[in-house]
Amino acid sequence: MNIEKIRADFPVLQKKVDGKQFSYFDSACTTLKPRQVLDAMNAYYTEYTGCAGRSVHKFARRTEEEFAKARSKAAKFINAPPSEIIWTKNTTEAINLVAHGLKFNPGDRIITTNLEHSSGLLPWQAVAEKGAVLDFVLCSKEGEFNPEDFKKKLGRKTRLVSAIHSSNVTATTSPLKEIAKIAHDAGALVLADCAQSVPHFPIDVKSLGIDFLAFSGHKMLGPTGIGCLYGREDLLKKLNPMLLGGETIKDATLQAHVLEDLPDRLEAGIQNYAGAIGLGAAVDYLSGIGMQDIEDYEKNISKALVEGLLAIPQVSLLGPKDFKKRGSLASFSVKGMEPHDIALMLNDRNFFLRSGMHCAYPIHKFLGLPKGSVRASLYLYNSADEVKLFIENLSQIIKTFS
Amino acid sequence: MVLCLVALLVFAVLSIWSAKYRVLAKEAFGCVAKMVTFKPCDVRLETKIKAKVASKLMIVPALARFFYKYFKALSWAFTIAFFASLAYSAYSIYNLLVFGTCTPGEPCAITGFAGLCILVIEQYAAYAIIAVMIIAVAYFLLKKQKKEK
Repeated sequence: MNIEKIRADFPVLQKKVDGKQFSYFDSACTTLKPRQVLDAMNAYYTEYTGCAGRSVHKFARRTEEEFAKARSKAAKFINAPPSEIIWTKNTTEAINLVAHGLKFNPGDRIITTNLEHSSGLLPWQAVAEKGAVLDFVLCSKEGEFNPEDFKKKLGRKTRLVSAIHSSNVTATTSPLKEIAKIAHDAGALVLADCAQSVPHFPIDVKSLGIDFLAFSGHKMLGPTGIGCLYGREDLLKKLNPMLLGGETIKDATLQAHVLEDLPDRLEAGIQNYAGAIGLGAAVDYLSGIGMQDIEDYEKNISKALVEGLLAIPQVSLLGPKDFKKRGSLASFSVKGMEPHDIALMLNDRNFFLRSGMHCAYPIHKFLGLPKGSVRASLYLYNSADEVKLFIENLSQIIKTFS
Repeated sequence: MVLCLVALLVFAVLSIWSAKYRVLAKEAFGCVAKMVTFKPCDVRLETKIKAKVASKLMIVPALARFFYKYFKALSWAFTIAFFASLAYSAYSIYNLLVFGTCTPGEPCAITGFAGLCILVIEQYAAYAIIAVMIIAVAYFLLKKQKKEK
């Protein structure tokens, strides 16, 4: 991987902040966007603005083609057929679509975990308020799951298991394949929140054997406001649309309507065409580099990050100490210092990190960190030099204040 | 949290001349609004001020450490000193305008109380301190009550 060539593709990385270079270590929140993605989105607005599936003119036809191409690209990226991809705003909307679309009877059990992002927890809490029973599998203090714990929780009445694939706090990856097998053996469906995994390593929904998968475009170099729900076609057909409106129906009278086929019935109203096309360009960009190469590269820089953090005595790293068991982010707390203070001091030195709860309250409380943690999250445009410099600056701050 | 009050006044004055400070004044106003309605902030202005100043002080590590460690006490001291000096300045300016001196020795005719001048601040210092303490205690009690709810 040619890091310099990659960095040259990102317009924002060519800028300076307050006259100095900066390091963007907040890719788990949202990633920077390459020129290719911006150009693709811009082309929709400047060259062929139209509505897909509605008008018959040339711009509308072109929009329809590009929109369909983007769906195919997103589908291929996770080894799914295009008919099983539904456009959503983001991962949150994708999970909500399943939570609100599936019919749960009172007493039906939903199993999730204490490692979930709010997006993977709150929709199920809402379902539980209507009579379903919500139960949890707890991870270890390092954020790892034992598949046997899922087996113990699953029962005859379990309808669905919802699990985060890669944690945005502990950087661990759940044994999704094993979880899916256990759940299916018990007759339950499986939904995976893959917001932090799809951008970083190859994902194959068929090999994982899951029923639903949700991910966001903006965490994988794409624009904000676009995401995907993958679902098995037979299951998507059973989902009640969360929204109804334009293009979701075949016919309507004043009293009733006939729902359209997939995917239209679940995509109400004018879609985020520029967003989908941008996500398609992001998929092309990532695929052009190769997801395996990206994963290998991230492992290398993550190794430097984890080893650097572990070398600072005041730092407590969340998640496993072994970098091989981790993704490309590292959340940590510092003895005697508050997370926001550290992030703000690093911000002063042009290192952009996230601090706080990272929308994952239960896991922070489980780990005894009511004020959250600081998180450095890397991506393909981060260099080993940046990591080295970050560790030096962090050490200096901690040495002074902790 | 108390530093928001100082920040609001200071940035509000500075924002008359510079747009840069208008953003900070707005942020300080939001912070004060949250403070008086007992609402929590995500990253409070004080946290930002603390981190910014501590960062700048890092050229003298011991001073930076002291500032970081005792920030809360320092911000209280600074706030009290700020408002005390503000009151004292107002008092002095008023006296200067009315009596031609900042510390008039003679009782003035503004109050109806014989022998007392309402603007001789020393005579009211004890009352002022008690009033500030009552307000502070009431504030923290209300805040605690709200938190328990």
